[in-house]
Amino acid sequence: MLPDVETLLEYPYTRTTGPVLGPFFTALRDGRLLGIRIDGRVYCPPVEYDPETGTSLEPDLVEMGSDGTVKSWTWVTQPTSQHPFDHPFAFALVLLDGAYRPIVHALEVASPDELSTGMRVSVQFHEDRRGAITDFHFVPAGTGTARQVVTGGEPVTVIEQLISLRYREPLQPHRRRFAQGLLDGRFIGQRSPISGKVSIPGRGYDLLERVEVGEEGDLVLADRGSVTAFTVITPIQYYGQKETEPYIRASILLDGGDTPLTGVDVRGLPIDEFRIGLRLQAVWWPAGQRDLGEIDNRSVSLDGIIERWNPTGEPDADPDSFEEFAL
Amino acid sequence: MNGDTTRSTGRDVAIVTVSQTPSVAAFDGPEPVLVMRCVNDILNQTGLERSEVDFTIAGSCDYNSGLPFAFVMNLDGIGAWPPVYESHVEMDGAWALFEAWLRLQVGDVDTALVIGSGRPSPGNHREAFALQTDPYFMAPLGLDPTSLAGLQARALLDRELATERDFAEVVVRSRQAGASNPKAMVTEQASVEELMAQPYVASPLRAHDVAPTADGAAAVLLVAGDRARELRERPAWIRGIDHRIESHHPGFRDLTDSPSIRTAAAHAGAADGPIDVAELMVVHSHEELIVRRSLGLGEQTVVNPSGGPLAGDPVMATGLVRVAEVASRIMDGTVRRGVAHASSGACLQQNLVSVLEGDD
Repeated sequence: MLPDVETLLEYPYTRTTGPVLGPFFTALRDGRLLGIRIDGRVYCPPVEYDPETGTSLEPDLVEMGSDGTVKSWTWVTQPTSQHPFDHPFAFALVLLDGAYRPIVHALEVASPDELSTGMRVSVQFHEDRRGAITDFHFVPAGTGTARQVVTGGEPVTVIEQLISLRYREPLQPHRRRFAQGLLDGRFIGQRSPISGKVSIPGRGYDLLERVEVGEEGDLVLADRGSVTAFTVITPIQYYGQKETEPYIRASILLDGGDTPLTGVDVRGLPIDEFRIGLRLQAVWWPAGQRDLGEIDNRSVSLDGIIERWNPTGEPDADPDSFEEFAL
Repeated sequence: MNGDTTRSTGRDVAIVTVSQTPSVAAFDGPEPVLVMRCVNDILNQTGLERSEVDFTIAGSCDYNSGLPFAFVMNLDGIGAWPPVYESHVEMDGAWALFEAWLRLQVGDVDTALVIGSGRPSPGNHREAFALQTDPYFMAPLGLDPTSLAGLQARALLDRELATERDFAEVVVRSRQAGASNPKAMVTEQASVEELMAQPYVASPLRAHDVAPTADGAAAVLLVAGDRARELRERPAWIRGIDHRIESHHPGFRDLTDSPSIRTAAAHAGAADGPIDVAELMVVHSHEELIVRRSLGLGEQTVVNPSGGPLAGDPVMATGLVRVAEVASRIMDGTVRRGVAHASSGACLQQNLVSVLEGDD
């Protein structure tokens, strides 16, 4: 039985703050809370446009006090990993004194018994502030510590947000058999019950004939094949990039298959001698050292399975024989 | 903008076939298979070849699926050959229906296949959907749909527009209706008293007040004009469809009311005739009270006979399922006229109202 697979999906976003949110987040970093005045009404959080009419606004920013009144609340019994506390807490709509509309934020109390609509609360600034909405939270009025205003820093012009989501699930049945095959030193493909075409890795269906393919379609392919396409990637640096030197990603059509393995890492082979039609033999990591760590239901990397691909020395395959393959 | 644009159109468009997978807690296979089952079912029911479908559009969510460009992978379920003329919305399939309806108004194509699919089981729904909130003020706090729904439910209690018993009664009714729906996920019944004895998850909401997320898919086939009657004796005509949005700041809204539903319903013509059935996208029990009131539904309207999302919430297909449930009741002659509601965003921020009718 193979273990559940975990996937981490991350997107690092950076967003500019602009003429209204920039001063707001700069002020938060300094230990001050700003709103925006629109036709005599004060909105906090501030907005760049009139919420009633959509008209864009000149930034007429005003400083808010520390206190407000709870207009609604909910007690969060099991915080998510994104929440500002790892213990139960409240989210609340808080109408800051002088504001026209409430702001939604976290409210820390020891027990839900302390919560009520209408209760008075205060802004509690954190000691470490970076110019983000998480630089403060609310506490019952009179229980916080005094704010320390620190001015003179650079304006906050960019907000960074790392989106990070985790997924955990069993390998799906077709994937389970493919992965077990790799541990056993075999490439398992799937044959379409309609067209007879063999794809690897199987998807659990034939996307051309729109038919599901079960275990009865499994078959073992050779562990040698021909290069049908490749690209040389010169890495640029970005969040999560591990590469520094140019490397090849190749498509390899295993003998007996009708779709190539794509994105295969063939580093170790000289880039200037690499070519379409080249015949390659898989060299497996020894049984017991094979690692399924980069194989889940979403993507496949053979890096932990295949140590390298060796040229077989056979004559090259005829590139014209690959004309029906796009990759 | 002319408020009547969404119903005073030249082209009649109808739903002629619908399909749904069952809603299940965890589907042991790829999301494209869920799509494929619905697509094949639609084609089998109508006898159409895939090449006879002019336009396809799907609604799904990559954060839900856990894969960049998961929506492209879902096209596998529609079939890679012949090439499709297609579109996608990162929204519930109900919004794909809206785009398909608009696309058919252009007049150069006559058939559109609409799909909604989701496989949330491997992920964390609250964390994924916290990301649809404002990225400056809300998402960094992890403000998730359930917590925000708790704020909305509390506002109803504070204004004495509802009680916690009302919330539980919505759940009891939804589960009773879901018991006779073979596609529903929750069939277990409980009394109001039993439900109210349960602990809160985001007070005043309890676990059963939150629709249980499910893996699943749905599809409908839209056909314009007389061709619809060739494919179905009694098509479900889309008489009006309208989408309205409120502020993404929950504090800037009156959470006890839904002006966007009222506006959408007015522009879709919901009140132009009796509403026999209404399928409402109630993903938190208290929302049913707001949606009913905002749509002006009376005693003559049967609400969520399928059980609604509280009996199983196939994320990103749920709204389209509402349309399919109304359409199937019109097509089989059970009812003449119905309303399907879909929502998106926190606390019913966005709402889509469709009005469907059968021939007299």
